[in-house]
Amino acid sequence: MGLLALGTPLAWKDAKKLADQVRTLGIQQLLEIWNAYRGNERDILLWGDEIEYLVLAFDEENKNACLSLRQAEILKALASDEKLQAAGGGVPAINDIEEKSEPFPTFHPEFGRFMLESTPGAPFSLSWKDLLSVEPNMKLRRIIAKNHMAENETPITMPSFPRLGTKGVFTSPYYPPTGSQSRSQFIPDECINPHIRFPTLAANIRARRGSKVAINMPVFYDENTPKPFNDPTIDYDRHLYPEDDDVRNGASKEGHIYMDAMGFGMGCCCLQITFQAKNIKEARTLYDQLCPVGPIMLALTANAPIFKGFLADVDVRWNVISGAVDDRTEEERGIKPLNNNRWKIPKSRYGSVSTYLSDDPRLRPEYNDLDLVIDEDIKKRLMDNGMDEHLSTHFAHLFIRDPIVIFQETLDEPAEGKSDHFENIQSTNWQHMRFKPPPPGGNIGWRVEFRPMEIQMTDFENAAFSIFIVLLTRVILSYDLNLYIPISKVDENMATAHKRDAVLSDKFWFRKDLFPPAPISNRTSPTGSRATTRPATPVAVEDEYQLMTINEIMNGQTDGDFVGLIPLINSYLDTVNVDVVTRCELAGYLSLVSKRASGELQTGATWIREFVRSHPEYKKDSVVNESINYDLMKAVEKLGRDGYLEGLGEKLLGPRSSS
Amino acid sequence: MAAPTPTQCILTTGNIMTAAHDILRHGTMSKSSTELITSLRSHIRSSPLSPPPSPSLSTPNNIPIYIPTPPAPEPLAEERSEYDVTVKLFHLPAAAADAHETHAQDAVKRVLTTLGISKIDLLILSLPGISFDAEDSAVLGCDPEDVARWAKTYSTLEMLHEDGVIGRLGISEFGSARLAAFLPHTRIKPSVIQINVRNCCVVPKPLILMAKKEGIELLTHNDCNDILPTESLEGVLVDEFNVLEKGRAVAPMWVVKYTAVIRSRGVVENKGYVSSISP
Repeated sequence: MGLLALGTPLAWKDAKKLADQVRTLGIQQLLEIWNAYRGNERDILLWGDEIEYLVLAFDEENKNACLSLRQAEILKALASDEKLQAAGGGVPAINDIEEKSEPFPTFHPEFGRFMLESTPGAPFSLSWKDLLSVEPNMKLRRIIAKNHMAENETPITMPSFPRLGTKGVFTSPYYPPTGSQSRSQFIPDECINPHIRFPTLAANIRARRGSKVAINMPVFYDENTPKPFNDPTIDYDRHLYPEDDDVRNGASKEGHIYMDAMGFGMGCCCLQITFQAKNIKEARTLYDQLCPVGPIMLALTANAPIFKGFLADVDVRWNVISGAVDDRTEEERGIKPLNNNRWKIPKSRYGSVSTYLSDDPRLRPEYNDLDLVIDEDIKKRLMDNGMDEHLSTHFAHLFIRDPIVIFQETLDEPAEGKSDHFENIQSTNWQHMRFKPPPPGGNIGWRVEFRPMEIQMTDFENAAFSIFIVLLTRVILSYDLNLYIPISKVDENMATAHKRDAVLSDKFWFRKDLFPPAPISNRTSPTGSRATTRPATPVAVEDEYQLMTINEIMNGQTDGDFVGLIPLINSYLDTVNVDVVTRCELAGYLSLVSKRASGELQTGATWIREFVRSHPEYKKDSVVNESINYDLMKAVEKLGRDGYLEGLGEKLLGPRSSS
Repeated sequence: MAAPTPTQCILTTGNIMTAAHDILRHGTMSKSSTELITSLRSHIRSSPLSPPPSPSLSTPNNIPIYIPTPPAPEPLAEERSEYDVTVKLFHLPAAAADAHETHAQDAVKRVLTTLGISKIDLLILSLPGISFDAEDSAVLGCDPEDVARWAKTYSTLEMLHEDGVIGRLGISEFGSARLAAFLPHTRIKPSVIQINVRNCCVVPKPLILMAKKEGIELLTHNDCNDILPTESLEGVLVDEFNVLEKGRAVAPMWVVKYTAVIRSRGVVENKGYVSSISP
């Protein structure tokens, strides 16, 4: 999450007066960075993953799986251990599993007080040795985290806790949902990381919006689900805060699971990958080229079919987070005419990318086909200072947002040589790709973050999807692939990716031909038939893409020309020198991705849904009760800890390998 | 009038990374022989017509015929030290063993010229008629005559290594039995054994052990046994483009596959094939 500077955060009524000042200073900092680092060349490929955990606390007496709220204590234990290690010490219990040479992984706080984030101690390179160390490193992190928890606690990796916000007891210890920051009737403020930044974030998003956030995810109608479904957990008679009127004014939708707090979204766990590119141009290329891959990977990693104790008719978390941080006012959302606000804004600050940003002749103007809201003054300022149009537009779009949390102290200090104001806006734009300028003063290069993937239940899966993306970037750069489709189609794909079982049942827009155009033929073969000549005029944009299944996109078409991303990766691996052990391991990872796409293996979402629906206590009414959740969490714990689950895990992971 | 002595024909594909459109087609991309033929076809098609195809194949002063054209240098974009340049040299069955020395020198020279470099980081030798046996039955001995021939062919590469033209040497399709018979005849131990990727998860234990003991790296490949099938080659050169006259026998002598990979970023900048055929 970053940005944990201490100080006095301003309430929204004060912060909003300083928004312009923060934006102005932010742009000043961006321009400093741009000027200092735009000439960076030949930075090597470095990359890293971020894994987020939910920390469970099992109540064995009542057979209830809860969220542990001991994040601070666990982080403290981890931090002191890190110090021990730096001092040449260590913790005896984990000495045997740690390689002394390996830097200690880093653990970070997250929004949810029941969450942890871990990153490798040092970034990975592209050496095969490093790629093979990804999964062991992830496993090591899980073990280290577990070793610093209480006996009944465990870290699990799934996007959303199934019973977050239910009526019963779902945290340990229990708190009633009456807090004034979120004002949620489901989630207590005690679920929020107590660091002052986070409650302020929640409160200011609510205050800026003028109401609580309202997240409605469609319920999965099972045989006995009451129809129409009206979320039975909503209390229409609460009169604690003005925002309690929200539900009386129709904030919840029929047929939907209603959620009313930032914690529902920011309490979700993701799998994010960040790459350092060789220079700014390559970073921009990767940003654009990975953009259309985002929704495909979201659907392929689907792992979130339950919210607030109900089976949902979606498989992924994305829109929950999007709604959870939607700070747009009614005017900005187009509900009321513009009066106090500058723009009508189509998307939440958390959403799919709205504009490509490369300086690339292949980027046809038709691809940036969304009605993009930008701050024209900021765009002009950037362009006046030498930034090209596409990049200026990108930042002028990010900077339509207000800073949500402002620490008074940061405005009293000189802005030069820092990036805090820039990051204030940049890092509260949660789009599915993030273009990351170098931090000032350091030797880190231009980076791109790939953000849409859902965290998987095992480290094998997390390593597989991370490595798939890393290899895909190498294929994109080596073959100079072109994945552009109009960005509005990426939006459409993002919506499609939410649907239950989208990975197998739906089709996605994807570019038909990824390769650079074939050279124009200079030669006619005597038979005249085989030499293709290409038309001199480019094909119409609408003819460049088509609807494809994820299986076709990943594994290639059986009755068409599309080669498939995995065959392309294999072709790349046949071209570079790979040792037998690496090739075998990589084949295992690619096989998982391939089989998820073909349906031979289930996504986590399908697997979880099946687990619930075949549970003896499930009443076919969409409700995931304490007892089902307890058994599910035990299964997820085992999967994460052991990497397999006898008799159940095969559908998810394939037969257990003998090694 | 009798035609002058036929010389050699040099086939080139150019950089096939930038011509992936034709080569990485669905269904054709898993085989390297298809890759070679397809990329050759694509390169012929997109190259200028000059010099004109010469049915008689007579050239003055034994200058080879180039198909499609004399290769233009494709110098590396960045400093040489950024790259791993790997070359795999296939001696084909039609070539006499005592021509291997000239062929190897010729092949290496052409790669160096194409990439504008003076040194190859790794050269992997592929000998005709040898395929990897996953069973690796070490009990089967190797014919001493075979071993002597391999060693002779290999010695040319050892010399190139000593001249600083080749960094590391490798050999493909050798199991532990062949390796055991072969090693005593080498002056420069191979650093790499390359075996087919299909069986990479069932690498025979004896080979793993021997490689470990000898400090040899086991790499994978996905090349066909028959990298340049004469029939497909004739299809392209004779039937399709008419650069060789009908009825002329085409005998491929050697093929080199070269790759230049930017080491720190894993990006393949250049990959191509050169082949020599005796018409």
